[in-house]
Amino acid sequence: MLNHILSAFRAYMHGDGAVLLPEMQLLLFAIGTLAMDSWAANTSNEKSGTNPIFQQKYWNPALALIGIAFSAFTLWMLRARILQSGELAGFHLTLVVDSYFMFFSALLLAATALVILLSVNCATMPVVRQGRYYALLLFACMSMMLMVSAVDLLVIFLAMQAAAISAHFLAATPGLSNRTPSAAVRFLLSSALGSALVAYAFSLLYGLSGATNISQVAGALARRHNVAKVIALSHESGPQGLQMLQLLQSRLPEAVHWHAFTLEALPIAAFALVSAGMILKFAAPPFQRQFTRANPVTGFGVASPVILYLSGAYAIATVAVLLRSMFTIFADSQNIWWHIIAALAISGISYGIFCSLRQTNLERIIVYLSLAHMSYVLLGVVAANEAAATAMTYYLLTYLFIVTGVFGVLIALRGKNISSVVLNDLSGLRRRSPATALLLIIFVLALAGAPPTTGFFGRYFIFHALFETGHRYTAWFVALSSLPLAYSYLRIAVYAWRGRQSETEPAAVAFGIPEAIVLGICVFVSLAAGLYSEPFTRMARYAFGQ
Amino acid sequence: MLSLTHYLFLSFALFFIGLTGVLTRRNVIVKLFSIEIILNATTINFAAFARLYGDASGQVFAILVVAMLVLELLVALAIIAAVCSRWKCATPDDEKDLSSQLDY
Repeated sequence: MLNHILSAFRAYMHGDGAVLLPEMQLLLFAIGTLAMDSWAANTSNEKSGTNPIFQQKYWNPALALIGIAFSAFTLWMLRARILQSGELAGFHLTLVVDSYFMFFSALLLAATALVILLSVNCATMPVVRQGRYYALLLFACMSMMLMVSAVDLLVIFLAMQAAAISAHFLAATPGLSNRTPSAAVRFLLSSALGSALVAYAFSLLYGLSGATNISQVAGALARRHNVAKVIALSHESGPQGLQMLQLLQSRLPEAVHWHAFTLEALPIAAFALVSAGMILKFAAPPFQRQFTRANPVTGFGVASPVILYLSGAYAIATVAVLLRSMFTIFADSQNIWWHIIAALAISGISYGIFCSLRQTNLERIIVYLSLAHMSYVLLGVVAANEAAATAMTYYLLTYLFIVTGVFGVLIALRGKNISSVVLNDLSGLRRRSPATALLLIIFVLALAGAPPTTGFFGRYFIFHALFETGHRYTAWFVALSSLPLAYSYLRIAVYAWRGRQSETEPAAVAFGIPEAIVLGICVFVSLAAGLYSEPFTRMARYAFGQ
Repeated sequence: MLSLTHYLFLSFALFFIGLTGVLTRRNVIVKLFSIEIILNATTINFAAFARLYGDASGQVFAILVVAMLVLELLVALAIIAAVCSRWKCATPDDEKDLSSQLDY
């Protein structure tokens, strides 16, 4: 009996379970963090022993980091398996482990680990001692990895909703005070609208193809031109029309109900809805409907590591799902719909840059411009060749580390009383702490796209791909819009470099060990990927199986 | 009899009603159930296409969409209740409604 159970378990773990094992481990460690936190809260008081390492403040993030390490180790083992067989599919071909999933889940695990490290010493977050915050981060990471792994319309939708629920709860994490930020409700509304649009588009895709697996949907959409011709011919009177009608009724009986024009045009509408919905989901972090009334002092009211997570890892996961659906489902009619995605991306870039020019709060500047960066990545879909695909994943890979570095500096710059750093708070930074000023300037230059850093190469690869495939105007827009983008970032660098110190002397900038680790990794990637980008482009190419 | 086109027009109309509601109305609760109207439109779509193809996965998808809708509304109402508890905006005769309270 026991042997039977064990062999069934082993068969599951070798087959279907292997596909889901990284996510399962994250789930187990998240539940473990919650359980350990409630046990620790019940058994110990405020004085938790003489050794400061065993404080409750450090148990929860430590367990979460161990969970991420386990999941990363499982990914490494899975990599060995897919080197032999190329791809691992499970659960009736709804979940797949391929190199695309490997790349993005490794990126998401790294992002989650960096955010956990940054939030350990985040003094302005009252909730950071509680296990539920770290458990929410692990739940969100798990849902996002599931999102990237899904190849079925239903599972993509379910995983997107699970990630959205975790993101909504994370966005309700307050920053300085204990009250729930109202920005969470705005994020919730635009994210829910995005989910609704995506669900409607998936229903249209299911109706056009009769299947939910995205390769079958792609096949049905590719065949639709011929089917539409046959339908149009079958509506004519005469023997040929009758013959076409009989052909349709024998081979594809459902297609008789469709009109030819609807069959041709509806996938474009579905594409517009899918891309608009997913862009709403990752554009939601700006949170602010009316930028004229931005309150510069309090920022968003949401905790800074959470803002980093939502505008970094969550946006990257949503873009990854969008790219997978665009490359698989809508691949054949790219010459029709690239106008839609170019228009959406160009308006995203303009909106992000324009909104950031009015802001004085550093967090708002970075988050508004994150919309512009994600739109640059989407412009790579306009130029649909291999170089563009590599450019997109390279951009996402390096962008994550740079923006984590900027937020690391911003979190360290706040004292106990400031909830969010304003540009004027940066005055005198060069004298207060020259290392911090240098780090901030490196990260800001990397985001702006200055040549020795990696941000330049990300945008240059996309510009090059657009130019090569003939989209000249879009390429020139990428080049010329880098100027106001650079202005928004160089404002920060100028404020950090100018010397005048204010009369009330702010506290010295202190970095703990976790922040030092995070900033070290991020500044290494920002500079190394620009100076010697070949390993990073090789990683980016790996995402597409090369 | 009712053909597929009738169901598609119905869900299309519901989709636009819901979309107009989200973009036009200022009250947060009204926005939430306008999004619910859009998701009802997708449920009708799934059920109609499942009947067309004789495929059960459309109906499974419809039920799961409703389930996810319920969960999302649960989360949304929990967050709104947490935000709202400071401002006493549950009473209907308060002159400041929820949407103006949300301006930071």
